[in-house]
Amino acid sequence: MPDLVWFVIRRLLATVLVMLALSLAVYLIFYALPADPARLGCGKPCTPDRLEQARHFMQLDQSTMQQYLQFLKGIVAGRTFGEGAAAVQCNAPCFGYSFPLARPVTTLILSRLPITASIAIGAAVLWLIAGVSLGLGAALRRGRLFDRFAVGFALVGVASPSFLVGLLAILVFGFWLNMVPVNGYVPLTDSPVDWAWHLVLPWVVLAALNAASYIRLTRAQMLEELNLDHITTARAKGAGEGRVVLLHGLRGVLVPIVTIFGLDLGGLLGGAILTEKVFSMQGLGELLISSVGQLDVAVVVGVTLFSAFLVILANLVVDVLHGVLDPRVGHA
Amino acid sequence: MPEPRKTPSETPVLEVHDLHVTFRTEGGLVPAVDGIDFAVAPGQTLAIVGESGSGKSVSSAAVMGLLPSNADVKGEVLLDGRELTKLTAEELRKVRGNEVALVFQDALSALNPYYSVGWQVAEAYRLHHDVSKKEANARAVRMLDLVGIPSAAQRARAYPHEFSGGMRQRVVIAMALVNDPKVLIADEPTTALDVTVQAQIIQLLEDVQTEFGTALVLISHDLGVVAEVADDVLVMYAGRAAEQGSVKDIFYRAAHPYSLGLLGAMPRVDVPPKHRLTTIPGSPPSPGSIETGCPFQPRCAYTERVGERCITERPLLTPRPGEGNHEAACHLGRRPEIAQEVARTGIQENAAPEGAPLQQSAAQESAPLEHSAAKAEGPLQPSAEESAL
Ligand SMILES: Nc1ncnc2c1ncn2[C@@H]1O[C@H](COP(=O)(O)OP(=O)(O)OP(=O)(O)O)[C@@H](O)[C@H]1O
Ligand code: SF4
Ligand SMILES: [Mg+2]
Repeated sequence: MPDLVWFVIRRLLATVLVMLALSLAVYLIFYALPADPARLGCGKPCTPDRLEQARHFMQLDQSTMQQYLQFLKGIVAGRTFGEGAAAVQCNAPCFGYSFPLARPVTTLILSRLPITASIAIGAAVLWLIAGVSLGLGAALRRGRLFDRFAVGFALVGVASPSFLVGLLAILVFGFWLNMVPVNGYVPLTDSPVDWAWHLVLPWVVLAALNAASYIRLTRAQMLEELNLDHITTARAKGAGEGRVVLLHGLRGVLVPIVTIFGLDLGGLLGGAILTEKVFSMQGLGELLISSVGQLDVAVVVGVTLFSAFLVILANLVVDVLHGVLDPRVGHA
Repeated sequence: MPEPRKTPSETPVLEVHDLHVTFRTEGGLVPAVDGIDFAVAPGQTLAIVGESGSGKSVSSAAVMGLLPSNADVKGEVLLDGRELTKLTAEELRKVRGNEVALVFQDALSALNPYYSVGWQVAEAYRLHHDVSKKEANARAVRMLDLVGIPSAAQRARAYPHEFSGGMRQRVVIAMALVNDPKVLIADEPTTALDVTVQAQIIQLLEDVQTEFGTALVLISHDLGVVAEVADDVLVMYAGRAAEQGSVKDIFYRAAHPYSLGLLGAMPRVDVPPKHRLTTIPGSPPSPGSIETGCPFQPRCAYTERVGERCITERPLLTPRPGEGNHEAACHLGRRPEIAQEVARTGIQENAAPEGAPLQQSAAQESAPLEHSAAKAEGPLQPSAEESAL
């Protein structure tokens, strides 16, 4: 489908432009903050001399615009801070360098991403399955006990603060029942079982809270869909109830579900801040929060831009899927 | 007008006896269908006519067991002598789309927007035949070709929104016929279409009926079409049969004031536009709101002639002169008086067109009926021309 290819290319070009504008905005905002990153890096006692040295080293003595251009150059060609033996190398694509952590931002993001991705993808799969099946069941048993339970659950889920539920889950399942570990992360490559086992609590907590909106969406859309004429056609053709509901009913609900799923997942991949905090996982969200505390502006800018990029990417994927899933949507 | 194809000896394939449908709603019980009977034989067409809300669609959905769960269905629905209302869900599923198929009013909403039309026709086939996808697709393409979709093999891969209204309705008809059903129920199959396309679709229905020997139940607002294709007609009013009989009985010997009103409301090509549509004054009662007496009484111009009985006693279907099973539910038993009345009140404004047939049929009745017969015949000829377009 060449239409689709062109559509993706156009959208990717647009994405580059949006990211450029966004990075400029983010750069200006964070560098306009009164905080001085050089002060943290200048050691003690921080004489004006050493402060000036640190500024120069971090390339903070240039104008904001120059710094921004340096930032852009770093993405394409990499950057070097300082000279000689003390020089710090930041290879392309360099999204800034964290002096407090002594690591390029790119490296930091890439090291934290697997943790956040593990949390986000696992939880997303769980809440998708749970939310859609509960919503489907509620629609099919409209007004009955199961429906009331599912709708009630959705209401509670939407209204509950995630950190509270997280803490409660840790208390009950971790400490009282001693069923699952309460914190820590084991890489998937080390031991898949331990990886999953350590993630069970955050997955379940995040899924329980996010499933709520999927229950409501699936239920509402399904009720609408099942009233449509083509559902009657399917029955009149001799399709059994299962086929009517799944192949003809749920098929029509796929597009809205995929849409919010893509956007939710895209947003969560940029950092599950509260969940990571509650379960002490060193993900992107935790990196962002601690960098804010450290006035590590380079990391804050890098993570913010990365999260924004993921959201834009999720939008693009969702739009492409729209065209694939709904024959009435063209990408021309 | 085509020659009546009816041969009285033919045994009906679908028989409905004393069908009642009551909806349980928040506002109470709504009796949408209140005791109707009809039957249709292979190759025959039964038309069901009546104003909006008279229970036409509900009756046809009841035959297929397609009513929502808040509907109570009573009565018998016999398909080749088999009682459909007593079947299990799985047995009923095997009947739907296989032995009895439906064609809906709005083909765009009747088709699933997410699947290609070929897939949808093939699905209907695979639901009742244990064949490979390939065989089913081939069958679907053959059906699409048969209903007149050009380059069917390619178009089978297209989606419903990529078709015109008429072509979509052809797809729906192909889907309904793919299993060679014994009975085809078409619920206002042309209402959503342009006039010229309407004629083509009706022609198609007639053609496939001839080809497959399908029994056709045609629900329609268009009396021109009914006169052209039906063998029998059931006139429904407020969930009941007002009158039923052969197409000639209804068009030339209508005995019920409501049928006469509908015939008067029929658009005619030979009448100047401003006189074209005489509608029956008033609107139908909500189902079940009239408990005693005749449901048509508030709108009936003949009620004074009968008097009290129209208010106190529900008129039952009683035999009327005609081709056999002509029945009407009206206390006004003497047909000629109605005809006189019609002639006098001037509902029909035109003298019989030249060479109008039916002289002999009219001659059997009293003289004033001639006008009535001629009036009924009038619109038939233009619509026959239309269908030739
Ligand atoms: N699901 C339902 N619940 C309650 N009442 C219903 C339901 N479906 C239909 N009815 C009622 O049954 C009556 C008959 O409706 P039906 O659809 O059979 O009319 P119709 O003759 O097909 O009219 P139209 O020409 O407009 O299609 C109407 O009064 C309608 O309000
Ligand atoms: S029974 Fe009376 S009210 Fe009803 S149609 Fe006949 S004349 Fe009219
Ligand atoms: Mg209807």
